[in-house]
Amino acid sequence: MHANLIGLGALILVAGLLARFGRRMGLPTVPFFMLAGILLGPSTGGPVAFEHPEDLDILAVFGLVVLLFHLGLEFPVEQVLGSGKRLFIAAGCYIGINIGAGLALGFALGWGAKEAFVIAGAVGISSSAIATKLLIEMRRLANAETPVILGIIVIEDLFLALYLALLSPILSGASSAGELILRIGISFGYLALLFAVARWGAKWIGKLLDTRDDELVAIIMIGLVVLVAGISADIGVSDAIGALMIGLVVARTSIRERAERIAVPLRDVFAAIFFIAFGTSIDVGAAGLVIVPVLIAVAVTIVTNVTAGLITARLFGLNQRGAANVGLTVLGRGEFSLILATLAIGAGLDERIGPFIALYVLILAVLAPILASNSKYLARIIPDRILHDRWRYVREETISTACTHLDRINITETDEEACAECVELGDTWVQLRMCLSCGAVGCCDDSKNKHATAHYHDSRHPLIRSLQEGDGWQYCYEDKTLVREPAGSGRS
Amino acid sequence: MGKGVHIQELPGLGTRYDVDLRSGGERVSIVVSRDGKRHLYVFTSGGTDDPAAVVEMTEDQARKVGAVLAGTFFVD
Repeated sequence: MHANLIGLGALILVAGLLARFGRRMGLPTVPFFMLAGILLGPSTGGPVAFEHPEDLDILAVFGLVVLLFHLGLEFPVEQVLGSGKRLFIAAGCYIGINIGAGLALGFALGWGAKEAFVIAGAVGISSSAIATKLLIEMRRLANAETPVILGIIVIEDLFLALYLALLSPILSGASSAGELILRIGISFGYLALLFAVARWGAKWIGKLLDTRDDELVAIIMIGLVVLVAGISADIGVSDAIGALMIGLVVARTSIRERAERIAVPLRDVFAAIFFIAFGTSIDVGAAGLVIVPVLIAVAVTIVTNVTAGLITARLFGLNQRGAANVGLTVLGRGEFSLILATLAIGAGLDERIGPFIALYVLILAVLAPILASNSKYLARIIPDRILHDRWRYVREETISTACTHLDRINITETDEEACAECVELGDTWVQLRMCLSCGAVGCCDDSKNKHATAHYHDSRHPLIRSLQEGDGWQYCYEDKTLVREPAGSGRS
Repeated sequence: MGKGVHIQELPGLGTRYDVDLRSGGERVSIVVSRDGKRHLYVFTSGGTDDPAAVVEMTEDQARKVGAVLAGTFFVD
């Protein structure tokens, strides 16, 4: 038995040091792991740490499996289901536009239909890890658009499962349309089965895993995860989906938190090996062949993301800053694109696809943080009418408030001293409220007729303020919260 | 909790708690991440809407700061 420990150690160490260097400049880690593989791999000239990259295969596949297992384990099911229809519409637009453009680009390149499906996912699905880290580093966790961005990338992760379930049969090389449909059927059936296990069988899996001993929990859990991933690959559904779904299952058991604690260091090390191993298969010399398609792909990604950001901002009533931040924060591509590239290489697709995705990920790794942190320049050139044709609003001030509707404030003063509807009915009122969108004055909820709230239900104008002398508060019906005044719009 | 604290879920990351301090826009936001980290955002009134300070704390550090803030008797 001969193991190239020197080569493996050198690869991992260089990858870690490169990534550390990148982190100091605010760049994501995944592309640097890949870069270490490219630089020290046999396909590229210069020093070679690992002559036979296929020796890395079992470690790399294990890395892929724990990476996706951890993704499933962490998936915030309750938070997503509780976040409402609007978020799903926004995420649907986001995914639809990005995947659609990726598919169009893939077919336009003319490398083949299977290649087009891979490219669609590789340029369409963003890296949740990169986006989340960016939000923390840019100090935007308190921003109004941040929950929306996080919601979108989480739903994207869920979409990944469906996409992989469709892609694996396509890549499997079915000889006829009938066979392809059968394989897709098996794939989705298997997905449904694992969903059912997650929903109803988690208790039994929990019993199997739960011992007092952390050591045994780790071993039994990893054994189960790898086995399920392997079975999934064997019936043609891809190990990645199996790992993701068993993660969802374990997330519903009693050992969830221990499982997370155990999985994180494993994921960190072995996923890095997966990215390194992918890098070793890339020849720098091939970059010249793909540079033009890559630049087009980067441009397409930026345009589709900004477009999706504008749609999201419209849906959620965000202002220009919000729109620009949504569009430019989710640009990073990383782990998922590389997983897809590995699948494509494994399926023997066009050999340009590996270098194409590698270069694309590298360029966006550098561009994404730069563009995201300069989103204010994009915000300045977004015309008002794209976001709200009817509202005149505060352009840049509403960004980090708890209420996302301050930009709907059109009017803050009125001479009205009566609730017109009550006067008509001959009723009286306790206090008066004023709609900050259209200036309508109505009676408060302590009054008999509650006309202010009725006005909100009719018009959906979200904000009111009290007209009571000295009150000075505003209330948002949509966010159910008292809100502060936007800075700079003093009511004097 | 209750009044005066606005709670916002951050899917996949954690939960954010906004506490208003004064009507002028002074407030703090605390993000409690699922991995235990705390991010404390401080906003001061006037000027820009960017946070005046952001502090990252581990669970342990947050517990210490919290104990001092809450007025729990504290001896080293």
